[in-house]
Amino acid sequence: MGIITVLWEKWTEFKRDFYKITLAAMITPLLYIMVFGFGIQITSHGEPYLYFLIPGLVAMSTMNGSFGAVAQNMSVQRLYEKALDQVMVSPTPLWQFILGQIIGGSLRGMYAAVIILILTGPIRTPLVFNGLSFLIMFLNGMVFSTIGITLSFMAKSHTDAPRFSSYIIVPMSFLCNTFVSTDQMPGGFRQFIGALPLSQASAMIRSISHGEAITWYGIPILLAYLVVFSAISFLFVYKKNNL
Amino acid sequence: MIELKNLTKKFGDFYAVDHLNLKVETGEFLGLLGANGAGKTTTISMICTVLLPTEGEVIIDGEKLDRRASDVKRKLSVITQEYSMRQDMTLEEVMEYQGRLYHMKKKDIKEKTEELFAFADLSEHRRKTVRHLSGGMKRKLMVCRALLTDPEIMLLDEPTAGMDAIARRQMWSLLRRLNERNITIILTTHYIEEAQALCDRIALIDKGKLDIVGPPQELIDGLGKYAVDLIEEEDVVSHYFNDRDQAIEYLTGMDGKTVMRETSLEDVFIERIGKRISG
Repeated sequence: MGIITVLWEKWTEFKRDFYKITLAAMITPLLYIMVFGFGIQITSHGEPYLYFLIPGLVAMSTMNGSFGAVAQNMSVQRLYEKALDQVMVSPTPLWQFILGQIIGGSLRGMYAAVIILILTGPIRTPLVFNGLSFLIMFLNGMVFSTIGITLSFMAKSHTDAPRFSSYIIVPMSFLCNTFVSTDQMPGGFRQFIGALPLSQASAMIRSISHGEAITWYGIPILLAYLVVFSAISFLFVYKKNNL
Repeated sequence: MIELKNLTKKFGDFYAVDHLNLKVETGEFLGLLGANGAGKTTTISMICTVLLPTEGEVIIDGEKLDRRASDVKRKLSVITQEYSMRQDMTLEEVMEYQGRLYHMKKKDIKEKTEELFAFADLSEHRRKTVRHLSGGMKRKLMVCRALLTDPEIMLLDEPTAGMDAIARRQMWSLLRRLNERNITIILTTHYIEEAQALCDRIALIDKGKLDIVGPPQELIDGLGKYAVDLIEEEDVVSHYFNDRDQAIEYLTGMDGKTVMRETSLEDVFIERIGKRISG
């Protein structure tokens, strides 16, 4: 019930800000496609770089869409609007509220990814996106929603959310298998970057898009992040002294 | 019944609420009064579970209140000092969100919203977003939202702050009617005459500690029913008497400008809290 309430709240927000949300989800990836995909005519592993880039952008969009939908929104609700107080005092179980945020955030990430797929649709590529790709996108969105929730509970002011984005999301966008393969990173750093959730999601979506098998450990790694950050989110909402 | 048992909240080394013990009977209207920073809002926030106590507990109808206690929280409704609601939602959406959070049926939410909006004169603004409302209208919306869920206990943290005199009187009348329906109300306010007019009992809080609790008249009688003010150049010195004749005798014996009047709750507040603050 509480999950549906949060999804309803996210849906009203989505309907109200439809054009803003859609435009925001389009602009950055579109610029990357224009500059790196069309502007710099390069090949990667013997094929157009665009084939490498598109799956990475899809994964990155799920991250940005989910994190943005949850972190910014929750920080403002908690610290500026104080609207979270109303949830705290209500009988809606807080785990349902958090789960609703995770699912709602992930759906927003999926929406951003679908926009990329629509935008790149006219480009004739052999890339394949199937049910498993969408499952990975959803899982990746859930991971970044939980990270968004965790950081929004750690935020001390509502301006912290964009800062967290600069510290965490922007570096991941560039380093985690979106524009360049993590294989090209120096040893040590490569393993660290490779273990981050976006690197795993990008690698898996890319493998599927190229008709290759995904690594066996990709999904367990994403699930591990999901479990850890969900646990932290639940811990915060139930145990944090001053919400 | 609400029981606050040793309720304590520390921020670092500072005790915002210091081992507060208080019982509020079902259907009672209790006023929490105190100077700025006395711990009134912190107490309300702990009853709302937004803040967790450092020590002690809140018991409602025999059950311990915490963030998991959905059945207990179902009984509560709060009007906070700040406009705690989504600013980008319309008035209708605010009400629907509240109803959904309290597991109400959509039909009931709709009917009750109509009724409350009509009562609060908000019907024509129902499709406006909250951020486009005036302060007074936001307050009214908060009242509607709090009443939507038929609460058994209402926590009101300065509900009339920023309201004009007419709106405040309307709010008083509403609160009286709610209390007549056996709703337990805990009210914090800076308007002492408001507390005196509405509350069955007053709890004075000073630096997080309970100073005194009792019915307004009992607190006034404790000080003396009659006050004689001696108006000096820069100050007013008040003397209190329970016997009218004694007050008159004192008054007639004084030189300078003097006024005799009935003691008010504000006098109790000034004598007990104000003088400690001003040293």
